[in-house]
Amino acid sequence: MIRRGLLIGAFAVSAALFARPVSAQGPQATTPIEHFVVLMQENHSFDNYFGTYPGADGIPEGACVPNDPADAGAGCVEPYWLGTDPSRDLDHDRAAFLEQYNEGRMDGFVSAVTHGSSDGRGAMGYYDDRDLPYYWNIADEYVLFDRFFQSAGGGSISNHMFWVTGTAGVGETIPDEGFGELPTIFDRLEKQGISWKFYVQNYDPTINLRHQGVGDRASQVVWVPLLNYARYLDDPELTSHIVDLDEYYTDLERGTLPSVSYIVPSGASEHPPGSIRAGQRFVRTLITSLMRSDAWSSSAFMWTYDDWGGFYDHVAPPQVDEWGYGFRVPTLLVSPYARLGHVESTTLDFTSILKFIEENWGLAPLAGRDAQANNFMTAFDFSQPPREPQFLAATRGEESRLTANRALVYAAYGFAVVLPLAVIAWALFGRGTPPPGLPSGEMARAGGRRS
Amino acid sequence: MTELSIPRPAAARLRSLDTADLSQVAIWVYLAVAVGAGIFVRLWQINALGFNSDEAVYAGQAASIAHDPELSKFFPVFRAHPLLFQSILSLGFQFGVSDLFGRLLSAGFGVATVILAYQLGSQLYGRRAGLFAGLFMALMPYHVIVSRQVLLDGPMVFFSTLTLYLLARYALSGRAAWLYGAGAAMGLTFLSKETSILLLGAMYAFFALSPSVAIRLRDGLISLGIMALVILPFPISVLLAGRSDTGGQYLVWQLFRRPNHDWMFYPSEVPWAIGPLLIVVALAGLWLLRKERSWRETLLLSWIVVPALFFQLWPVKGFQYLLPIAPAFAVLAGRTLARWSVDADLGSIGKRLANAWVGPVLASVIALSLLIPAWQRVQPAQTDSFLAGSGGVPGGREAGAWINENVPEGGQILTIGPSMGNIVQFYGHRKAYGLAVSPNPLHRNPAYEPVDNPDLLIRSNELQYIVWDSFSADRSSFFSDKLLRYADRYHGRVVHTQTVTVDGPDGETQKEIIVIYEVRP
Repeated sequence: MIRRGLLIGAFAVSAALFARPVSAQGPQATTPIEHFVVLMQENHSFDNYFGTYPGADGIPEGACVPNDPADAGAGCVEPYWLGTDPSRDLDHDRAAFLEQYNEGRMDGFVSAVTHGSSDGRGAMGYYDDRDLPYYWNIADEYVLFDRFFQSAGGGSISNHMFWVTGTAGVGETIPDEGFGELPTIFDRLEKQGISWKFYVQNYDPTINLRHQGVGDRASQVVWVPLLNYARYLDDPELTSHIVDLDEYYTDLERGTLPSVSYIVPSGASEHPPGSIRAGQRFVRTLITSLMRSDAWSSSAFMWTYDDWGGFYDHVAPPQVDEWGYGFRVPTLLVSPYARLGHVESTTLDFTSILKFIEENWGLAPLAGRDAQANNFMTAFDFSQPPREPQFLAATRGEESRLTANRALVYAAYGFAVVLPLAVIAWALFGRGTPPPGLPSGEMARAGGRRS
Repeated sequence: MTELSIPRPAAARLRSLDTADLSQVAIWVYLAVAVGAGIFVRLWQINALGFNSDEAVYAGQAASIAHDPELSKFFPVFRAHPLLFQSILSLGFQFGVSDLFGRLLSAGFGVATVILAYQLGSQLYGRRAGLFAGLFMALMPYHVIVSRQVLLDGPMVFFSTLTLYLLARYALSGRAAWLYGAGAAMGLTFLSKETSILLLGAMYAFFALSPSVAIRLRDGLISLGIMALVILPFPISVLLAGRSDTGGQYLVWQLFRRPNHDWMFYPSEVPWAIGPLLIVVALAGLWLLRKERSWRETLLLSWIVVPALFFQLWPVKGFQYLLPIAPAFAVLAGRTLARWSVDADLGSIGKRLANAWVGPVLASVIALSLLIPAWQRVQPAQTDSFLAGSGGVPGGREAGAWINENVPEGGQILTIGPSMGNIVQFYGHRKAYGLAVSPNPLHRNPAYEPVDNPDLLIRSNELQYIVWDSFSADRSSFFSDKLLRYADRYHGRVVHTQTVTVDGPDGETQKEIIVIYEVRP
């Protein structure tokens, strides 16, 4: 106990000495986390990414989802490794959620996709460490959440709104007039003078509520909810916080990373049929850059997925209100204070991110959801000194092959040493004379004998 | 103990060459002095400098066999060469990887070779010649330098000398068991380093040129069969481990790689390393005693000429490649001096005394001529240039230790060439890529990974550090300049510098030998 008290005391002293926010204004963080970075990727369920991860609540043994929940004779589909199969964009709207959820029976994953005119079998595909080596390496070293639910049982718009406002907004639509005065976490931060930025990969300032863009570019207004607020668009001070992702790297280099950073991707979102490897490279670059910066020792980086993308997940989400929760989504936390190789099973959702920010900087809740949400403080261990950065590999280890190699080498070369030793010992200590009739051997020729 | 009784004039000379005027105690004392001197020069400051590239690779392989969790990430078990020495080394690494232990093991093989040289000389020309041969091997700079390093050549020369010794025993006795033993020892020589297979050519030349040493076909085949059995684990373990493609690629690379030294490399390097005086005495003996020429000289000359000729013609050259010829030279020189001592005119007391001392005095002069350069070479030289295989690399271990302590785990490094990359990986425990590694598989060691696009790797944060070193820069100014351009382009910030004190025209100055840059996109 004394030792623990000393540790905590030492920590408190060092935290007081060295804690220095980038922004001189605003309240101090209540934990050693002075920089919180959160990235929202796209469209994968927990079981789709970590369903076979050891130690996590993954795909149950014998899982098989019926082709038609209403027809027991129609057979079922077992989860299968997607491997190199092309990834497909499955139905993942509110209707698909409700059919897959099926009032908690969780048996509509295949049929809902089939009804959406796709091959329903695709919902049962999963990836593992062969496809996601970096993410699995992160899980091995930092924190993986296996009870992290999307806030709304629906698609991108409502879930991004929960991420920023603690509410669903108005559901899966963006009002023509925008979200008006609906408060955001950034309003709270701005009011308290806490630095923040919303980093957008390939940010195009001309695409917003008023000019929503076409094709893929239209997703910018969905993934950046602030672009659907007239008051953010019309206030240069507020607009200046929405920046291209390039600034994330320059902020890291210059030591100007704000206290709270939201990040959304563009091409590397992992949204099917996008490349999950490209997504890993993107996330790895973000994390590695953070680790190389001075901010690392007082930072936390979390990334999650805005919805399940239509993929199977076996855990029935608790229903806390009319919107959700939706299904579980992969979420990971990297921080010098993160627990080592920890699977965190506290029930969380996107509003838990708001809860963390609010508690860390002493802000008032935005809505009922974030007020009641669980925090993920238990994923940290603030009693430990900050861990050194660790650039994790984008490949997995080959432990078993190495062990096999060792046994093979010792067996082969052991034989190779024993055989000559035996032959040479025989030559040294054995008795014998040259074969009769062989004129070889100087001593033999000379009639000499050994004694 | 062997006693010869050969009732012919030549045999009488042989006997007098043996123990005529040396007591058993004296023999042991002289041998102990030679071995002690050999141990001393091999252990002096043995670990003052860190590993060079080859040492790092072999020790890294041994660490991988010992399943060291850090080094097995960077050094695959199966690379180019067989794994006999690495396997033995790995037994010690079970208790922790230590560069000192690696070098001590290598020195142990070196000292054992000194004793074998004594035995070989004794068998061929008597104890006195054996003692001279042992003393010369103990102090010969060539053997001292190589056997202080974790290289495959030291153990290979031990086993090749053992092969030579067993062949001599066969030729002396005619007992087939010695021939079988020679085959087994030849197998171990191969398992130490596969290039030694060319010594089979030396064996063939010996039997072909020595009609007095008959060999039955059946015995020859059995000996070859034993050798093949001993060698067999090498290809089998490579095959079972699924690494046969690596072996094949390495062979192709060796066959077609570009010459790394010019034609004068061996003539300009090796005689000085063996000892010019020793060579002169050995050759003088061959000439002066030409009337007594027997299979003994044929055996030793075959052991010298075949490797020397082969590696002179072979485009790929290395400082230590000719080391197997060293014991043969030592024995030939020992023979000359021993012969000189006992075969002189015994007419007067003065002449007898003079002749009795000529051999030892001349041997002392040769020993001194070997000891002085050997002593100079075993000092931990501070230099900014380096010849592969000639010793440790100044500053490499220290730079690696800095990397291990300061570069985040998983960090990756770009070096000029793979040599410094190996050192960085061994001491720094971080992945290193050599910029000079060719993207063309025919022009690179298949164990090395080329960097196809360094810009991309730096831009995507895959490479975070650049290590420049003067040794590699000496060999390739092109890649040195290119590496420094990357440091310049990506905001390279010097985070560590390793220096040595060198003598210059203005006295002692500090010279940078290794510079570590941190680079950012």
